[in-house]
Amino acid sequence: MGYVAAGYAFAFGGLALYALSIWWRGRRGHG
Amino acid sequence: MMKQLSQRLLGPVTLVLLALTFWLGLWITPPDKIQGNLVRLLYVHPAVAWVALYVSFGTATIASALYLWKRTRSFVVDRIAYCAMEVSVVFIGLTLITGSIWGRPTWGVWWAWDARLTSTAILGVLALGYLALRRANDDPALRARRSAVFAILSAINVPIIHFSVQWWKTLHQGATVFTSTRTLLVHGSMAWTLLISFLGFTLLFFWLLRARYRLEVQRETMTSATLDEALASRRSEGAF
Repeated sequence: MGYVAAGYAFAFGGLALYALSIWWRGRRGHG
Repeated sequence: MMKQLSQRLLGPVTLVLLALTFWLGLWITPPDKIQGNLVRLLYVHPAVAWVALYVSFGTATIASALYLWKRTRSFVVDRIAYCAMEVSVVFIGLTLITGSIWGRPTWGVWWAWDARLTSTAILGVLALGYLALRRANDDPALRARRSAVFAILSAINVPIIHFSVQWWKTLHQGATVFTSTRTLLVHGSMAWTLLISFLGFTLLFFWLLRARYRLEVQRETMTSATLDEALASRRSEGAF
């Protein structure tokens, strides 16, 4: 199950981090 | 009215579909006879790859073509192309990572110079090259034209990736969900979960694209306001 957990963590976590980066850049006023 | 409603629903529907994918993929769907629990990566990797290659790179290519065509030329489509390409970089990166995680226990290696893997990695480099090219040009019209041409030329790689499993002997498997005879090889809860994952990740792309587009508009407005401010300050100093 370790590989499955890693796959889900990267896919969902990576996309969540990217979404967060867009929100954060907007807050800071940087593109 | 309908447009407003669909815009409002995009975020919540995306979240529900992705939560369903997570829950169904990890707990409800059965393990595979051959792959065991590793089959659960089927609900992540193909959907992410689908968005990376076809939805996001496709959006960037179509928007680039629309920019090059005089009748539809506008900075709106140029901005869409840029934002879609940035999202594409993230999805291509995650396609390679999740594929590598699946490859290690099934093939015994994290990476192989296989036709599909290599051509996907090349697409990632091209997408990064596109972002670099945009930073290298200050003139908006020149930047838009050059990057649109680059995006369209890069898109030649997409059909190469798609058919790579047929054209070359690859470690990566061929079509599984739909074979060339359009026979569905996945059934029951596995098929439903796969469908939900494709829908969820596709909607997530549009949600990210919308957010990224708004950020880009905000950045452009701020840059132009800063420039106006600097000019006004110079004028007041009697520089002009």
